[in-house]
Amino acid sequence: MQRRDFLKTLSIAAAAGLAGGTAPLLAAESAYESEEKISREKRRFRVRYSFDLKNPEDKGPYPARLWNPMPYQAHWQNVRILNFKGNYDHWNLNDDNAYDVSILYADWKKSAQPKTLQIEMEIETRYRRVPLEAIEAASKRNLPIPAEVRRFLKPTAHIPTDGKVKAKADELTRGVSDHFEKVKRIYDWVTEVTFRDPKVIGCGVGDAGKMMNSGYFGGKCTDISSLFVALLRAAGIPAREVFGIRLGRSHYSKALGKADKKGFADISTWQHCRAEYYIPGIGWVPSDPADITKLELVENRKYDDPRVRELKQRYLHSWEMNWVGFNWGRDFILSPQPAQYPINMLGYPYAEVEEEPLNYYFPKEFAYRITSQEITKR
Amino acid sequence: MRYFWIFCWTIGVLFAGEKIAVIEVSGMTCPLCTVAVKHSLKKTPGVLKAKVKLNTKKATVRFRDDLNTSSLLEAVKKAGYEGKILSITPAD
Repeated sequence: MQRRDFLKTLSIAAAAGLAGGTAPLLAAESAYESEEKISREKRRFRVRYSFDLKNPEDKGPYPARLWNPMPYQAHWQNVRILNFKGNYDHWNLNDDNAYDVSILYADWKKSAQPKTLQIEMEIETRYRRVPLEAIEAASKRNLPIPAEVRRFLKPTAHIPTDGKVKAKADELTRGVSDHFEKVKRIYDWVTEVTFRDPKVIGCGVGDAGKMMNSGYFGGKCTDISSLFVALLRAAGIPAREVFGIRLGRSHYSKALGKADKKGFADISTWQHCRAEYYIPGIGWVPSDPADITKLELVENRKYDDPRVRELKQRYLHSWEMNWVGFNWGRDFILSPQPAQYPINMLGYPYAEVEEEPLNYYFPKEFAYRITSQEITKR
Repeated sequence: MRYFWIFCWTIGVLFAGEKIAVIEVSGMTCPLCTVAVKHSLKKTPGVLKAKVKLNTKKATVRFRDDLNTSSLLEAVKKAGYEGKILSITPAD
């Protein structure tokens, strides 16, 4: 096998436009910090991926291909440094797919050699919040939905907008014309009826149609976000799931992200799906209905608990950025084209050995490890 | 007598023909679903090879023709999906 060893260093973006004070981090072990306080801070994380792709058949030489989701660039998340190296035969960074999903692709020819890849990123995040008053004002103007956003009204295999989804959306928004009021009604219903089912593997499949048809509203973040998105689309509000990964400690609750005393965390299984909806005149608004259910389960709190109510209010229009987003692709085809397609979502690394997908829900089998070290300057 | 039946079974296995079944599998929604179906089919005695594709929602199975084809559908069901045999042809 022709072996190569690459080392690429890309300074993706400067911190231009991100000037401002850095609020001190406080370990919120017992009480959550105010939204106003944490909204001022910038946080930095050094994130490391380590791949050692295994042959599930465990016999003889094997080829392998890997598609790893990479963070998108935005005002609230900035990949400042990216390094990667490994013994792959080919690689590319591409967004050649229907949703412009950023992917680091690598492949290895058939051989008995281990297939390794290490990725290191330094990611800077800022609390993301759209003021309620601004959303309400924009919504009242009832502006048209831009053409480039209208695709997020359409159904996909996992986000149907007809049948029971449509019937429920109609029921929840009957007599309401204001876009944001529709969002609030759907958000209220989804956060109230859904619950976190710890038996669901990974983030869940995110099959909103199956959830509505079965009437079983237990699931994890992709399931709950997908239900929210499907109902919004059915009500005429553009919406999308945003797949990503938690990076470290939450200022609100350990349930929403934690790290050791030095700010280190093994985040291999911390993938987390959030959601966004679009209000013309203001743009995409962040939301996270699934973390309401996680707080309820982990802290053993009821829906009407003040702490749950507080988070519910925040996550109607904000994201705490101890998390980084990758993409909003659903039911799409990766590039280069894998043996199995379309892919349901790309929140996890995806790999194929001998054309068979590796089980991305089990990092040790795959195998991969993802760690995060918070390096925020205090 | 016992040895006679073991002999017959061995001869049967050695000289049994091979067939290929194409099965339509419904309910697969992600790449990992194909792995579950493939592994379940491969565990079935008499199955020699199985390939499952998500885009076509079809499984192609090479098996010994002494295998009752209903066990292929049972294997698909065991993985959590529904199968329907579209064709069975002799293997080359």
